[in-house]
Amino acid sequence: MAIAAPPRAFDLKRTISPNRLLGLWRMMSGFRLAYLGATLSLAVAAVSRTATYLLLRYFIDDVLSRGGFAGTLPLVALGFVGLALFGGVFTFLSGQLAARTAEGIVLRLRNYLFDHIQRLSFTYHDHIQTGELIQRSTSDVDALRRFFADQAIGLGRIALLFVINLAALLSLNWKLALLSVVVVPLVVLISIFFFVRVSKAYEAYQEQEATLSTTLQENLTGVRVVKAFARQAYERDRFEQENWEKFLRGRRLLLMHSLYWPVTDILCGLQMLAGFLTGALMAINGTISVGTYMAYAGMVIWIIWPMRNLGRLIVQTSTGLVSYGRVAEIIQEEREPLTEGQHSPKGDLRGEIIFRDLCFEYDTNSPVLKGISFGCQPGQVVALLGFTGSGKTSLVNLLPRFYEYTSGSVTLDGVELSEYPRYFLRQQIGIVEQEPFLFSRTIRENITYGVGRDVTETEIVAAAQSAAIHDVVAAFPNGYDTLVGEKGVTLSGGQKQRLVIARTLLKDPRILVSDDATSSVDAETEGVIREALERLMQGRTTFIIAHRIQSVMVADLILVLDKGQIVQQGTHEKLLAQPGIYRQIYELQTRVDFELEKEVSGVELRV
Amino acid sequence: MSNFEFEEEEFTTQFNGRTVLRVLSQTRPHWKWVVGFMVTIAIVSALDSYFTVLSKRIIDEGIVAGNRAALVRIATTYGALIFVQAANVLGFIFLAGVLGERVQYDLRKRMFNHLQDLSFSYFDRTPVGWIMSRVTSDSERIAQLVTWGLLDVTWGTFNILTAIVFMLIINWKLALIVLAIIPILIVVAVQFKKKIIVEYRLVRRINSRITGAYNENVTGVRVVKALCREEENLREFGQLSSEMYRAAYRAAWLSALFLPTVQLISAVAVGGIVWYGGLQAQFGGMTVGGIQAFISYVTFMLWPIQDLARVYAEMQHAIASAERVFSLIDSVPEVSDYPGALDPGSIQGSIEFDRVDFYYEPGKPVLEDFSLTVNQGETIALVGPTGGGKSTIVNLLARFYEPKRGMIRIAGQDYTTLSLHAIQSRIGMVLQTPHLFSGPVRENIRYGRLDATDEEVEQAARLAGAHDFVVTLEKGYDDEVGEGGNLLSVGQKQLISLARAVLAQPEIFIMDEATSSVDTLTEALIQKGMELLIKNCTSFIIAHRLSTIKRADRILVIENGKICEMGSHTKLLRARGHYYQLYTRQFRRELELEYDSFVTSLGHSSP
Repeated sequence: MAIAAPPRAFDLKRTISPNRLLGLWRMMSGFRLAYLGATLSLAVAAVSRTATYLLLRYFIDDVLSRGGFAGTLPLVALGFVGLALFGGVFTFLSGQLAARTAEGIVLRLRNYLFDHIQRLSFTYHDHIQTGELIQRSTSDVDALRRFFADQAIGLGRIALLFVINLAALLSLNWKLALLSVVVVPLVVLISIFFFVRVSKAYEAYQEQEATLSTTLQENLTGVRVVKAFARQAYERDRFEQENWEKFLRGRRLLLMHSLYWPVTDILCGLQMLAGFLTGALMAINGTISVGTYMAYAGMVIWIIWPMRNLGRLIVQTSTGLVSYGRVAEIIQEEREPLTEGQHSPKGDLRGEIIFRDLCFEYDTNSPVLKGISFGCQPGQVVALLGFTGSGKTSLVNLLPRFYEYTSGSVTLDGVELSEYPRYFLRQQIGIVEQEPFLFSRTIRENITYGVGRDVTETEIVAAAQSAAIHDVVAAFPNGYDTLVGEKGVTLSGGQKQRLVIARTLLKDPRILVSDDATSSVDAETEGVIREALERLMQGRTTFIIAHRIQSVMVADLILVLDKGQIVQQGTHEKLLAQPGIYRQIYELQTRVDFELEKEVSGVELRV
Repeated sequence: MSNFEFEEEEFTTQFNGRTVLRVLSQTRPHWKWVVGFMVTIAIVSALDSYFTVLSKRIIDEGIVAGNRAALVRIATTYGALIFVQAANVLGFIFLAGVLGERVQYDLRKRMFNHLQDLSFSYFDRTPVGWIMSRVTSDSERIAQLVTWGLLDVTWGTFNILTAIVFMLIINWKLALIVLAIIPILIVVAVQFKKKIIVEYRLVRRINSRITGAYNENVTGVRVVKALCREEENLREFGQLSSEMYRAAYRAAWLSALFLPTVQLISAVAVGGIVWYGGLQAQFGGMTVGGIQAFISYVTFMLWPIQDLARVYAEMQHAIASAERVFSLIDSVPEVSDYPGALDPGSIQGSIEFDRVDFYYEPGKPVLEDFSLTVNQGETIALVGPTGGGKSTIVNLLARFYEPKRGMIRIAGQDYTTLSLHAIQSRIGMVLQTPHLFSGPVRENIRYGRLDATDEEVEQAARLAGAHDFVVTLEKGYDDEVGEGGNLLSVGQKQLISLARAVLAQPEIFIMDEATSSVDTLTEALIQKGMELLIKNCTSFIIAHRLSTIKRADRILVIENGKICEMGSHTKLLRARGHYYQLYTRQFRRELELEYDSFVTSLGHSSP
């Protein structure tokens, strides 16, 4: 397996800036030329459209009004087609370049975020909410995509149309031109005001849509309760309430729209009419030519009407900025250095581990482990006993360097743990959790997940057999190609655990960490899992988080933990010989058999 | 897997006339609204075309003729029509928009209400996600089609037709030439839109895979790190995100090509107009304003055609949505009241299963020839392996399903002669994983009897043993339980659902005990709560705890859909059969668990 990360062309950390616009600009690095191209193409397309109206003016004033033009006509006609073709090419080019920019930026961002997330520390993942992180990597990234693909270029488009057409109008007749844009500032203001308001109403509408979905979902997942209490009528009322509320919010939203568009229609329409009237009067007076009037009438449309959408773009752009901030928060987190550390021996580890006065805390001043000292030889089994929160899991999490201990030392084969690169350690340590996480892939892919080498079918089957999961898998119609999870089979906790045992067998680590809790498993399965685990433990230094006496008895060293400290340690025999928690627990074991015998014989005595 | 039948995005490709009619019929109760928006949009559309005529007249009758009076007259008409236009715009946005919301509201209401009537078997075979998207997105798509879709079609058609009429009036020969271009435009536009929709659908599909990948990477991040899968994961994701890049780029590329292509075709028509119109103008067959009007019509013909093409392309999708929605509405509940079903006011009395057969899937019998008579007030414990048929027995009793053969009698009467409400409203049920609805604790308990006062709710909670823990919650009975009750532990959820059942004052009590371990204190409370219900009801308990089992009047060991042992605790224990095996195993486990909690209490007491 390649340990070194491939060189990354562009580190998105460099794009982080408290100024969000500057941050977005930096994010465009490498695509700025294409984006410039898109903007320029847009300008060229706008110019060619404006030129069409100038050609129209030429046609009316210089061709039509003079007779004998049969020869020029086809040329003028061709001119129109030519301009459309020319403009069209650039319109296309602009759209294509904008898409390339936006999709390119987002591709880079997606890949970076994906990698970044899996390299952030455990501490980060402990604190962040899963849903939130996924939301930011998907919805917010998509908002950024829309920012680059539509909004930024859309704002540019409106600005360019305005500037180019206004310039052309000014060249035709400056008085007329200025008269034609009187209403524009007003339209822009109304537009911004409206879209700010409407986006709030829209959020309220969307919120209600979400509430409605939740109501529906709860009804569907709770269908047994609904039916068991015959509460259909009540449920109908509840849904009706939310559904009606959504209708009302929708209606409010539409009322706003149905006022905005006609009002701006009137504003823009009257502005146009005023322009037409003035222009026509000028034409009658001979101040401008008929052709000029016609060109004017064509161009003025492109100045006034697009302004109505300006507010929408501005509001959307602000959501793009918010999304940038949310994504940047993830990017600026520090990654876990996986390859840092100078000691990575070529051969196998022996697995001798010694803890010396070790302390650990997740947050400062609330120690989780205090003064932990013990040692174990290669191949030995260490059992950790203690109630929830006593520090068992925290202790084993230090071994693969998921977290860093605060003081004291841990040596592995005589070398301090922090000298080993994390990557190296994690390859040497296998973890079997109580309720393992499986991926929505096939069973085969889950078994070979992270094994880090090509595995033959025979090896997979052998591992599965050894983990006592082969028969379960073979019973599925698709065997090892059966999908796990939502779209496939649901495996029980015990089956998942055995699948992970198979995977760990293939991974063949020198050190093993396992959690023997089998509370969710029936008694027969429990025995099967225990046997599989025992096979896996052979020849490996093993740490068992123990929940029951049976697993403890086979251990070479038992650690009884309480509030982050080791209160008793030794072998089963040694601990049994001394007074303490361990002996008290063990003595209960014998009482079980005794009481059971009493109960059964009591029943029989009463015959 | 059966889930694949519910794959999204699949739809019949052939055009189904019946479905279209049925979709349109959704608006029948609101036909006045439909007429309203159709009329207003038709007026808007005709006015859009007429404004071009007015512009032509400004040029011909005003400017070219040098007639100021005529100019003012035309401008006045123009200005008045702007207001008429705006009023109609207001009309159609409001009418169509609100109607759309209304149709969606109606559809959702119908679907939800129907869902309340559907039987368990429907929910067994239909994933929640499938139903969710029928009620949310499909209903929306249908509503869009019958409002904005219909509106766009009306506008587009009217706009094109009125434009053609005006062109014919201005110059019929030139109009005929222009007409030739319309079919070409339509065909090109439709083909484009269809392709674009297909591309965007592909983008959406890949996008949901990307979300899935993020989801797994975040939720499974600990496994990823422990197994050093970072490089491999990034490589896999890189392929996916590159696929997304290509698809999104292709879709954007096609979209960018659409407008220039259509514009180029209209430019050819403009060229024709200039050429032919110019020649005509020589002989007075064409005015300057006429040429201007033609150019306008052809240039803006693009928009109605684009709308028509879009609606046409989306229609297929909407029809597919409609088919799925109708399939939900048309599905018939398998368990429902028979004609003449009655509510006797009480269902107290003996319960009798008389040679009942049952299966979920044909050919896989779950119960065969099952007979059982239970006396009023008796407590039955059902024990035995998973999948043996215990849940089926209680599900049949609650009439979530009905026997395939044989009969169930309540108080000597075939229970299918009773109404569903008569049975289900008198059953109190506590499920293994109790489902709570998001909302305060109080409302969740009140679900058992909706008209219960706050005092009665608290009284029920006291009787069920839930009161003590509820008052320790931050807001007591007003504390939110979270979605599905997830803010509470399993034991707490069971206590709440016991209180709910107590409040319902049922005549039959059904309980499925939790297998997962509940802490000792809560367990004792649950036992106490059950006691009360057991005393007052005929009870069926799927039991896992020895104390519960021992308390039952009769124990049924269910295996493979048959009663393999039946009798009291002492009798069965003496027989040393299945029950003996089961009992001793469970005895051991429970005592082991007990000293596990002993570890906990010891740990706390020792310094």
